[in-house]
Amino acid sequence: MQVALESFGQWQVIRVTGQVDSKTVGDLRDFIDTELKQGHPVALELTEVPFMSSAGLRTLLTLQRKTKDMGVELALIGVAEEIADTMKVTGFYQFFTIHASLEAIPNS
Amino acid sequence: MDLERIDNLPTDTISGFRVRPGKPLPFGVSSVPGGLNFSVYTSAGTSCTLVLFSRSEEAPLGEIRVPDHYRIGDVYSIVVYDLDYEDVEYGFRIDGPYNPEEGHRFNSENVLMDPYARVLSGREEWGVEPDWSKQYQYRSRVAFDDFDWEGDSPLEINDADLVIYEMHVRSFTKSDTSGVKFKGTYAGITEKIPYLKALGVNAVELMPVFEFDEFENSRIHPDTGERLFNYWGYSTVAFFAPKAGFAASGKFGMQVDEFKQLVKELHKAGIEVILDVVFNHTAEGNERGPSISFKGLDNKIYYMLTPEGYYFNFSGTGNTLNCNNPVVRNLVLDCLRYWASEYHIDGFRFDLASILGRDPWGAPLSNPPLLESLAFDPILSSCKLIAEAWDAGGLYQVGTFPAFGRWSEWNGKYRDTARKYLKGDEGQVGEMAQRVQGSPDLYQSNGRSPATSINFITCHDGFTLADLVSFNHKHNEANGENNCDGGDDNHSWNCGAEGWTEDLGIRNLRTKQSMNALSMLMTSRGTPMLLMGDEFGRSQHGNNNAYCIDSPISWVDWTLLESNRTLYSFTQALIHFRHKHPCLRVNSFVHGGSHSLPSCSFHGTTPWQVNWSADSRQLAWLMTCNREDQEIMDAVYVATNMAHYATWFDLPQIPAEYSWQLCFNTGDSQSPYLDTPITFNEHGILVGERSVVIFQVSPRET
Repeated sequence: MQVALESFGQWQVIRVTGQVDSKTVGDLRDFIDTELKQGHPVALELTEVPFMSSAGLRTLLTLQRKTKDMGVELALIGVAEEIADTMKVTGFYQFFTIHASLEAIPNS
Repeated sequence: MDLERIDNLPTDTISGFRVRPGKPLPFGVSSVPGGLNFSVYTSAGTSCTLVLFSRSEEAPLGEIRVPDHYRIGDVYSIVVYDLDYEDVEYGFRIDGPYNPEEGHRFNSENVLMDPYARVLSGREEWGVEPDWSKQYQYRSRVAFDDFDWEGDSPLEINDADLVIYEMHVRSFTKSDTSGVKFKGTYAGITEKIPYLKALGVNAVELMPVFEFDEFENSRIHPDTGERLFNYWGYSTVAFFAPKAGFAASGKFGMQVDEFKQLVKELHKAGIEVILDVVFNHTAEGNERGPSISFKGLDNKIYYMLTPEGYYFNFSGTGNTLNCNNPVVRNLVLDCLRYWASEYHIDGFRFDLASILGRDPWGAPLSNPPLLESLAFDPILSSCKLIAEAWDAGGLYQVGTFPAFGRWSEWNGKYRDTARKYLKGDEGQVGEMAQRVQGSPDLYQSNGRSPATSINFITCHDGFTLADLVSFNHKHNEANGENNCDGGDDNHSWNCGAEGWTEDLGIRNLRTKQSMNALSMLMTSRGTPMLLMGDEFGRSQHGNNNAYCIDSPISWVDWTLLESNRTLYSFTQALIHFRHKHPCLRVNSFVHGGSHSLPSCSFHGTTPWQVNWSADSRQLAWLMTCNREDQEIMDAVYVATNMAHYATWFDLPQIPAEYSWQLCFNTGDSQSPYLDTPITFNEHGILVGERSVVIFQVSPRET
């Protein structure tokens, strides 16, 4: 798994590539803790993430809480169908705003 | 002041793992700072080894022999640091004597499942046959207890106000006709919540959801040669773990979250969740069965054994859990407390509950400690406790189940009486009157209330409602036991032809009989229970014991919702009628009724005069109460004519300021229920052959 910070308009984009599971999720969490800047909405770009384990999904919730505390928007981008299904049946989905691509973010 | 705690630091290194002595409670695995605490009980075991695996790997990651000084009493506990919570799977090897005559079956070659495991892997997908050569089949994992409930808590609906809907998780939505995305799963039920809400039920009772082995059945379908299943799951593998194969997310190990999501969404819709729990036996069978957990941990403690060390079989399924041993009793309590607190479960229905009242040698106890503990438990105090008040060893306790003022019962006598009365058997009127008012003959003298009685005419055991009116005999050939399995005392009537028929007269009579049954059920005091699909005529083609069938025979066929739309709408209207009328839900045998009429009175073709003789097939009941905080009376009059000829019923007199309104008439095939009840100015009504009419009162406009 690789993580990189990009920008898209005013959005700060965390681009994740590869699978997010208990082995890699720590890196993502560390990245979120150290790299996020105040005052800009956050987009988590997951188009290149084929699989996300339970621990990965839980990190999304951590990120959701963190952005809420920071008072900025959070959007998930390009969530694979299987991951979205798992998020739906387990109740994670309802906590997020999800878009197919960065371009699909309204007023982006 | 924030001190670093030194008791969170490892004290030893064993097999390369950093460890320290653990805490004996809670049993199972729990997280502590930096590590996981493992705790397991064995009274006769002589050593304990914790076996750790990486997810799905056959070979262990490592084995940690728990040092003897880590044992307190009969409990081995150890904290292991630096484990990957999500990846790790674990089990135990317990050494000790192998001496079946003495009751001991220890074998340190086996890796045993943690009896307190909250998540299991190894059976993530339903019906995918496991590799039986693998030595460790049900692999204990670590659960995340961090579900976001968003303020949800159990609903605590009054028992008397419930309308229970019994369902099998897989059967409910497995069929393609269900139209849901996640077929046959917890999530599939979540998708159907709008349907349940529209129907009007406010509790679902789920057939077993504790992990079980669907392959625990060696029989073969006699025609197709396909393997038969233990489809219903009345055979528990793990009491704390939801069945992974019922979860769309089971392959990701997220069945816990998916099940919690189902409970949360049902609660949002005002629907309680009752679990059908099986504590009378386990999936380990008898001396020829597998050693999954209890057998190898402490066989003599967990099972009722004969003096020769064989398994008592009061459950009819191989073994009997030793529920009145204090250790096993605590396991049952821990289990129910866990489901009530961690999953927000509203109630439990106990399969073959009478077994839970037997002593370790099988004799019925007068004050069974387990049943008492459950009745007075602080965490379970608002949970419904429902007993199936009989067992396979001949104990039948409907009306005499040790209730401690708390337990309600599946009222098997309600089912039998209603069925016999429905098909026009003679000599049923007197007993039917008892059943309709909540069975005071069974529950009044011991101080219970009508809601002690779970009234039902059909349940998973036996015919569906459509089959009850279509078959005189069971047709269980598909079960592979030469039609010898399943009950023969069905009290069913096929209405003129056995099974499927083109005869319209017979078909219409069947629909009418179904409506008659539902009418009696929904206007009886006590708590009604409906079997899934009965509201639109679900059939199992005469199979009255489809415990092993995973096919369209046991799956709900949702096309029937359209083809039997009238029956569905009728049932829906009845359920809503019940919710609207408090007089039907009075939960007292000594209730004073309304200002001018008693709480429950019986009538015949002439008001206040019932023909109680054996050849009578007419009975009417009038239930009344005062509406809360109002002077207005609520009253419902139900006239049932189970004779094969139409009969005139004079309506009882009511105060002049009220009028009768006709709401249901099963004899009117065009409009058996009235969307807008019509005011009825006649002094009586001709009730058709085998028909039921239902009236309500309404204050006259002044």
